[in-house]
Amino acid sequence: MAADPAGVPSDTVQFGMAFRHQVRFYLRTMRFLALLVIVLLATVGFVAATIYYHVGGVDAGGYLGGFLGLFTIFGLIIGAFLGGDAIAMDFGSPTGYYTLVLPVRRATLLLGRYAAAFAASFVLILVYFVVAVSGAVYFHGVLGTPWVEVGESLGLASLYALGVLSVAFLFSSFFRSPATSMISTVLVLFFGLDIATGIAAFAGVDPWFSILWAGDAISEVFPSRVRLAGGGAVPTVPEGIAIMLVYAVLFLIVSAVLYQYKESKG
Amino acid sequence: MSTIEISALTKTYGGGRPALADATFRYEGSGAIGYLGPNGAGKTTTLKLLTGLLRPTHGSARINGFDVHRERKAALADVGAIIESPEPYPSQTVAQAVEMVSDFRRGRSRNIGKEIAALHDRLELPPLDARTGRLSKGQRQRVVIAASLVRDPRIIILDEPTSGLDPKERILVRNLLNDLKKDHLILMSSHLMQEVTEICDQVIFINQGQILLRDTVDNVANRFRTRAVDVEFATPMLLDRIRAIGPMVEDAVVVGERRFRISFDGSSSARSGILEALVRLGPVLTYQSASLALEDAYLALMQGNNGADPALATPPAAR
Repeated sequence: MAADPAGVPSDTVQFGMAFRHQVRFYLRTMRFLALLVIVLLATVGFVAATIYYHVGGVDAGGYLGGFLGLFTIFGLIIGAFLGGDAIAMDFGSPTGYYTLVLPVRRATLLLGRYAAAFAASFVLILVYFVVAVSGAVYFHGVLGTPWVEVGESLGLASLYALGVLSVAFLFSSFFRSPATSMISTVLVLFFGLDIATGIAAFAGVDPWFSILWAGDAISEVFPSRVRLAGGGAVPTVPEGIAIMLVYAVLFLIVSAVLYQYKESKG
Repeated sequence: MSTIEISALTKTYGGGRPALADATFRYEGSGAIGYLGPNGAGKTTTLKLLTGLLRPTHGSARINGFDVHRERKAALADVGAIIESPEPYPSQTVAQAVEMVSDFRRGRSRNIGKEIAALHDRLELPPLDARTGRLSKGQRQRVVIAASLVRDPRIIILDEPTSGLDPKERILVRNLLNDLKKDHLILMSSHLMQEVTEICDQVIFINQGQILLRDTVDNVANRFRTRAVDVEFATPMLLDRIRAIGPMVEDAVVVGERRFRISFDGSSSARSGILEALVRLGPVLTYQSASLALEDAYLALMQGNNGADPALATPPAAR
């Protein structure tokens, strides 16, 4: 990599700028706030329902396993909406002509935006976990809550978010329209992988290619989690970590390469 | 010293005719260069290649000695550019939009508030706390111009910079560019011959991806002399009296009340001789070229007629 030209901030400093501007972008467009409201409504509603119907599980691990098992769906929506237009916005709207002529490497822009998307996602993950743990504490007390497993599950949820964001960035680098990119991310991850998982189950193969399947590891850390009847095989925690890592790294690299070579032809 | 250089630069979209074919030029120092051609000629393609928005099929684009595509950050370090119709993020305020560009270009600055305030006054920007998404096209364009100038990059690349501006805003920008060109290198495409005539020192004509002519505006004006003048008298005048001036006048027609268009051979001697004769006929209010020299050059070049000097069609410097 060539040395930074005189007067222009280093890549590291520009990474921080890209991060800060992208976070501001999320806040100004109300997107983050909308997702926050959705997460709060869903999680508080879940806790309220379990309290109302007195279904706190046999122990805190069981309660949290069931609650956090739903995170894969929320994580997918969060990732699609925070990462879906991260690159497409530079080619599907005139804002690209504003930013891409600046003396900044595209990889720096991409990594700054990726970090911002993850930071925003992590805040939403934390909210989800705080409400979930609050429910567990309500039913089983502080001492009855498996804090170590909660920490492990939080780490896995973060890794899952990174994987989903990388997929969203990949689609964002394919399409010119931010909306198309977001919708494609949801469709492929939600329906596409679901269909492929069904086919794999029919063939008797574990869906190791699916990040949704890998996401089951988020609740798998709780030994007493309640599994839905008819549910197929679940990944081990190491398997889940490996799949999510591959998604996060591989698709981010591919999207960075596509971004680097993408042209503003419009 | 600031330099802009393209060498055998070619861009082909798909498998069709090149949008830009084997184009070569180099400019250095300061001044303003007008880049002229019809829609689809290759102007914007060239500017996009110079700012890293497109990748060349072959050839190279270099700014200050750095290859735009291999050393993008270094090449664009001292460049302010407006390509197509850029828009800041609609949710940003005017100040935030300009500050973002400032940050990436030169890093955080304690004086950025003062500089933005100065640009605000100079370009008559809308209120600094206004959201750019709610501005008119002209207001937004002025914000974009301010962003291209913030932290004083020495090279300015502009793609039809006055597009969308009203006459008052155009004058504002024209005056600004005339001021900047004294110590900046400006490359600007435009459809407006008047604008290029008033701002630029040098001019490049391009059509169908080929550079047809590069020269100073003065040289082009001399080589593509206008062959018609408009005259306006203070008192009524008969057309026959003008036609009777002599062989210098090839033709004359009435174009308005006391206004006539006179055709001649384009030479300076005929032009001045006609004026002398007209003054003897009656009080002359105005006497001026019927069209801009650049306009005549443009029309001649686009029609495949390169004027009096056939060598101009493919100047050695443009190869």
